[in-house]
Amino acid sequence: MRAYPLIVGLSLISLSGIVFGAPAAGVATEGATAAGAASEVLAEPPSDLMVTVYRAPYRDSGSIDLDDLNGFALVTETRLVRLPAGVSRVRFEGVADGIEPSSALITGLPGRVIEKNRDARLLSPSALIASAVGKPVELLRTNRKTGSTERLPGTILSDAGGGVVFKTDQGIEALRCSGLPETFSFEPLAGLSARPTLSVEVQSPTAVTQQVTLSYLARGFDWAADYTATLSQDGKHLDLGAWVTLANSNGVGFPSAHAQVVAGKVNRVNGAGGEIGEVEPIDIGGPILAQCWPRGSTSDQPPMILREARDRMFKKSVAAMAPAAMSLQEISVTAARRVQQEQLGDLKLYRVPERTTLASRQSKQVRLMDQSGIPVGTIYGADLATAYRGAASTGAAHRLLRTKNTVANHLGLPLPSGTVAVFTAYNGERLLEHESGLRDIAVEEDVEIDMGESSDVQVSLTPEETSIDSGRAKLLPLVPGVALRSVKVEDVQRVEVSNARAAAIDFELRLSLPEGARIVRADHPLGTKNGRPLFRFKVPANQSVTVRFQIQAIGDGILRTP
Amino acid sequence: MRVRLLCIGWVTWLLVNPAEAADRALSVTIYNDNLALVQDRRDIEVKDGRQRIEFQDVSAEIRPETVSLSAADISILEQNFDFDLLTPAKLMEKAVGQEVTIVRVNPATGAETREQALVLATNGGVVLKIGQRIEVLRDDGLPVRVIFNKVPDNLRARPTLSVSIIGTHAGTRRATLSYLTPGLGWKADYVALYNESDGKIDVQGWVTLTNSSGTTYDNAQTLLVAGSPSQVVGAGQPNNFRMPVRRQNLQQPGTESGSRERLGDYYLYPLAERTTIANLQTKQVSFLDVHGVPAEHGYEYRNHWLGTAETPQSAQSIYSFSTSAHAGLGDQLPAGILRFYMKDKRGDPQFIGESAIDHTPMGSTLSLATGDAFDVKVQAIVDKRTRLSTFDWQTQMRYELTNALPRAVVVKLRQDGLWGDSSIKAESQKSTRLNAEAAEWSVSVPANGKTTVTATFETRY
Repeated sequence: MRAYPLIVGLSLISLSGIVFGAPAAGVATEGATAAGAASEVLAEPPSDLMVTVYRAPYRDSGSIDLDDLNGFALVTETRLVRLPAGVSRVRFEGVADGIEPSSALITGLPGRVIEKNRDARLLSPSALIASAVGKPVELLRTNRKTGSTERLPGTILSDAGGGVVFKTDQGIEALRCSGLPETFSFEPLAGLSARPTLSVEVQSPTAVTQQVTLSYLARGFDWAADYTATLSQDGKHLDLGAWVTLANSNGVGFPSAHAQVVAGKVNRVNGAGGEIGEVEPIDIGGPILAQCWPRGSTSDQPPMILREARDRMFKKSVAAMAPAAMSLQEISVTAARRVQQEQLGDLKLYRVPERTTLASRQSKQVRLMDQSGIPVGTIYGADLATAYRGAASTGAAHRLLRTKNTVANHLGLPLPSGTVAVFTAYNGERLLEHESGLRDIAVEEDVEIDMGESSDVQVSLTPEETSIDSGRAKLLPLVPGVALRSVKVEDVQRVEVSNARAAAIDFELRLSLPEGARIVRADHPLGTKNGRPLFRFKVPANQSVTVRFQIQAIGDGILRTP
Repeated sequence: MRVRLLCIGWVTWLLVNPAEAADRALSVTIYNDNLALVQDRRDIEVKDGRQRIEFQDVSAEIRPETVSLSAADISILEQNFDFDLLTPAKLMEKAVGQEVTIVRVNPATGAETREQALVLATNGGVVLKIGQRIEVLRDDGLPVRVIFNKVPDNLRARPTLSVSIIGTHAGTRRATLSYLTPGLGWKADYVALYNESDGKIDVQGWVTLTNSSGTTYDNAQTLLVAGSPSQVVGAGQPNNFRMPVRRQNLQQPGTESGSRERLGDYYLYPLAERTTIANLQTKQVSFLDVHGVPAEHGYEYRNHWLGTAETPQSAQSIYSFSTSAHAGLGDQLPAGILRFYMKDKRGDPQFIGESAIDHTPMGSTLSLATGDAFDVKVQAIVDKRTRLSTFDWQTQMRYELTNALPRAVVVKLRQDGLWGDSSIKAESQKSTRLNAEAAEWSVSVPANGKTTVTATFETRY
């Protein structure tokens, strides 16, 4: 049940009698329902649409996953409603399938809406059967040989557990267990909608025509920024361009809508709704299963194997179906115009400048920015954890591009999170170098783009000595500010950084020491970054640099007991 | 199980008979925590002597042990809740040892042949005895219809409650059936529109009730109770874990009394009119609509003990307001979700985040986080950890606060995890010790600027 994406109808009832608005003008009454005196009124299709897409709340960086859009959107629809006098049920057809009903708001209806209802059922084979239980239906049974169809009046007794039991004059039978072509023919039923529908019950003393605004949060949307960075040949400048990629996996499209995306993390309670006792938002129903009694025969495989084989087959077919059903069918790219940014409280809102159509199962890209000539520094770095008497370790260094998000650096604008792909110019072409995630970066913040590992720059950590006599300990210069008392110096460690590149590189060696430990002697100047020791040095072209340091544990002997 | 019950629900939903509803009065009391009390008054026909009375359209998730039936001049012998559902497999299973009619259809001519058969077994496949022969049903794959004479007594399209009673005299009388059922629940949904220019909010409150109990309650008198009576469900689970400190939404509990009805210590929200609560339905009723309540917007950042961030982390965007009758919402708030909206430059309301609130008395101060601030960030750094003696440590913390907004902001910077044994030896600005666990600095960060706060803690670890 929960495996299906579900669909909703919503129905609101206004019992308030206060009505204001224009007198009778074009009243559309579409037949009274059997349930009550309410007449059914179909709201016009939206005359105006606004869709604001929010990112998946837990994603700090990276792109969207088209097969699983975990963001959401605020959808605002403006529709014309023609109300007759009296009680009427206004139906809003074609709302997003991912609607979160408890967030739905309707403004502009005459009077105060004091009751809203949401019924969750779409027209589907199983919903038809379910609604026909206990009601007269016609059984159609076709003779395969003669082609003649027998029509028998009957009653559906049960559709419990996926099987259907019905009764005719001849007795009680189960649907499609006989091997004969059997089906039901139903009488016309009210109350099942073909499209996700929201309905409102309103009481109006006079007939009115009114513009109504309906807004709701809906799942099945997402967006991210996709940056492409082109590094100049000398590696000193970067051109940064970005797309806003937004996507809609709902079965409903939003034609000619005002589209916005919002950057920043907003709180959602329970991710995207769904609490204990809460009704699933969308119920698209299922096929008529017509499960029968055990139908094993003498030639069957043992039931266990059969079941496993069937499960395997089912899984396979589901797996084969899933991507086709889930993945978005259309990718549309619109360029030339950029989104406009504005502040929305503590969030950033990006407005698509012109009305756009956000079709069903579509992803769309709109230009976010194009900045060029951003000065960047290239730094090679390694983050090493040192332990007392730790083992030797080697690895490749990471390359980082570093700049600051300022106007002077041709940036100075908020960078919403996403993915950044870095290209380098090569013989007049652009080649992809690396792709990494980017978090939300505010103005004046440092920007660091990970360029991956560089096999040309290797780092190795070697513990040289684990207990040093005091004479030899003094071979390394004391770190400024360190006053050595009579505490023993432990562990001399050596880090070698080799550079196979034809140019000198800037290197940052960052260490994480055991709790309470400090570096007391080192042959390179010692700094800190984010509270951790850091050596910053240059490695000349095609050469190696060795850094030696001594670590002292404070409260010696306590930490080291195994 | 759940799937099955939902299916039944559909059935039930459709079986609701208006004629039956006329002589039936339902009242439903719904508690917050997935629990409802249903009182079902209907006219029943009672004969003289011993008999069985069936109640259909009871909740598919009924807790049968909570059922009580009361009517004049009857005495109850026993209550049964039958949840054996009518499916083809069950129908066949119950036909074991009984005669059924089988109809063979000749695939060449389409001619039908009828025979009587005795069902011997249904283990894996159906084994029949026809005359003196034994056959497996449809072993050859040819079409065979099986016709049953009747539906066994306790197989039903939906769960049914039956009560055996002894009537002292025949006649129609009013019976009241009451029971508890899960599957019905409610919460509040609030919509708050924040006006940035004057710092005020308009708040609408809706109670949202949901029904997934598998049954429709027709034309029911509905009462919502803000509270969750304790329920004993299965074996209790002792929870000895020290839960992480949650952000406290309720800053100051209120002490005011409203005009709402109460039941014991619970607030009551009766629905004005009788209503139909359909299965799989979400129903919303307005209960609050307040305009122009002053609200404060601020920022908050909480750092856990020894928390070091490699990159600046966003502070939380906080909105606080009062539920007092003076300059507040003037009502107590049942637990639910509060969604904040704000108008964009074009004047369209946009969603800016939501927060869950607990039952909140009137007169309280609420402070709700709506999400992360894009432009206000904090980077907490453990600068130095020094061991003073075996158990005493000194920790130097540095907090870098940055603000990319064109206006100055104040961030409530909070260091958690101090337990009772930490003391602050030095700090760049005065902190408030909120409790044994946490210290807080109120840090002003200039427009497009930054502020650094440093503190030295001494702890026993």
